[in-house]
Amino acid sequence: MADLAGFGRFARTYQAGEIIFSEYEPGDSFYLIQTGKVRITKIVGDIEKNIDILSAPEIFGEMAILEGAPRSATASALDIVKVLEFNRANFEILMMGNPQIALRLLKVFTKRIYDQKRRFMILTLDDPQAKIADVFLMLDETQGSSIPGEDQGDKREFKVTVDDVAHWAGMNSSEVQALLSHFSKQRRIDLYADKIVVKNINDFTRFVNSKRKK
Amino acid sequence: MPKVGSYRANSVIYFQGDLADRIFVLQRGKVSLNYNDIETGKIIREVIQTGEFFGVKSALGRYPREENAVVLEDANVLAFSVPEFEAFSTSNTRIIIKMLKVFSNQLRHIHKQVENLMSNPSAVNAETGLYRTGEYYLKTRMYSQARYVFSRYMTYYPSGKMAEQAGRYLESAEAALSRYGDGKGPAPVLSSSGTTTKDFAAASPAPVFNTVAEPTTATASEGASLSDVAKDYYNAVSLFSQEKYKEALSAFKTIVESGDSSEYLAKAQFDMGRCLFALGQWDLSIKHFTSIIQSYPKHPDMADMLYIMGQSWDKKGDQAKAKAFYNKVLTMTADDDSSARIKAKKAINALGGA
Repeated sequence: MADLAGFGRFARTYQAGEIIFSEYEPGDSFYLIQTGKVRITKIVGDIEKNIDILSAPEIFGEMAILEGAPRSATASALDIVKVLEFNRANFEILMMGNPQIALRLLKVFTKRIYDQKRRFMILTLDDPQAKIADVFLMLDETQGSSIPGEDQGDKREFKVTVDDVAHWAGMNSSEVQALLSHFSKQRRIDLYADKIVVKNINDFTRFVNSKRKK
Repeated sequence: MPKVGSYRANSVIYFQGDLADRIFVLQRGKVSLNYNDIETGKIIREVIQTGEFFGVKSALGRYPREENAVVLEDANVLAFSVPEFEAFSTSNTRIIIKMLKVFSNQLRHIHKQVENLMSNPSAVNAETGLYRTGEYYLKTRMYSQARYVFSRYMTYYPSGKMAEQAGRYLESAEAALSRYGDGKGPAPVLSSSGTTTKDFAAASPAPVFNTVAEPTTATASEGASLSDVAKDYYNAVSLFSQEKYKEALSAFKTIVESGDSSEYLAKAQFDMGRCLFALGQWDLSIKHFTSIIQSYPKHPDMADMLYIMGQSWDKKGDQAKAKAFYNKVLTMTADDDSSARIKAKKAINALGGA
């Protein structure tokens, strides 16, 4: 762990259950966890969905570098959490003295840039069906299928809901619901309450490639 | 130890799609990174300067190369493995800081491109989203969380369209917290007058974490502080989103006239022009943007400004001038906001092509 003595003025402590920042809140700071666990959640429909649980020395809220962008999820303390809070004005001071943290942030940025580019590729497809198929390809590339270590051939299982797919495709849920039912009727996917199974991921790859403009 | 590699002109250091495990520095010669622009498909050639790093993102992020690294003139290249680069860069922090700046600009840029393509009709704006988040916590009897969210709402949107109700909810959350404690007491009844579309009548699920017996400390309602100008700016944006353009215009104007040196000034300036456009003041909107462009030729929202100016001319019925502005958007370099370019292209097509 990097030497963080002297950064006491950036230290914040949160009690269990306390919110660090809320989804949709404008944010201009990001955080480095020192101790404790931070829960990242999003409210989807009527439930608060767990996105991630983070612990030291992870960084969260780094999208605050995007001036004025609202938080995309809620961060709250799962137990007593100590963090260092930074913003654009003071982060350079921190980074200069803590190259390990700077390097970690650099890696987080490379991942975010890749994710955003991939997302852009989905959104530039004109065909709504292709957009949805490409969401599954992206999920397959970035998080893999949800059955780890199992040789499953071309079949892929994703723990996502219609709302999740709609979010990634930038479409409204009812349209996505209709198109997913259509895929289901064609026996290309199986729809469940908590997951969607793509029967042949290569079929989707070919489909998306045929719709992508050169 | 990083190794020096010599490459002949016209050879390729790596291909797009290759698995990335090394980071390079150009020592001598000329190397170009060639790739297709993700938006236009056009081939972009980015020439690397001597002393410059390349292949960093894909190697650090462990994803395939996104470009072909082609040698234009015989070159010497220093190749680092990822652990070698980490060791080297952590003793040369300035290099990381410089890369962080480059990457955060790239991230801002791509994020903006994505945002502009998200024409999701069901997407909620930040103000409504924050309000609904508070409602969710109140409904599930997570009073301290509800108190946090509504107090943030009142901070950012003191004259927001749900401010009155948010204030009442904030009080109920406070009251329930001191009377019953988190997760206890009768489920609060939410008024149906809000903007909520979800059916909140269903039995509320048990709160996920409700073990905090003692009232949470006062820090919950304080939260991270935002500068005054930021609050003023968000409030003005809120007025704009309520289509109260006149009020928004004067709020943005106050920020601009305050002479504040933060980034909000440039944003407020740009938003003043958007207000004028929304108010149908085409001439004033054109005049306003013209004066911004004259004094800030590198304004971050340049492409968007040119686009709105084009729209203003369009509305005034001068299609030739409108096209000229749309075309200006198109001639801007790839580094500028290219979603404005998409919109400009569409507008040109609507006018019957360039």
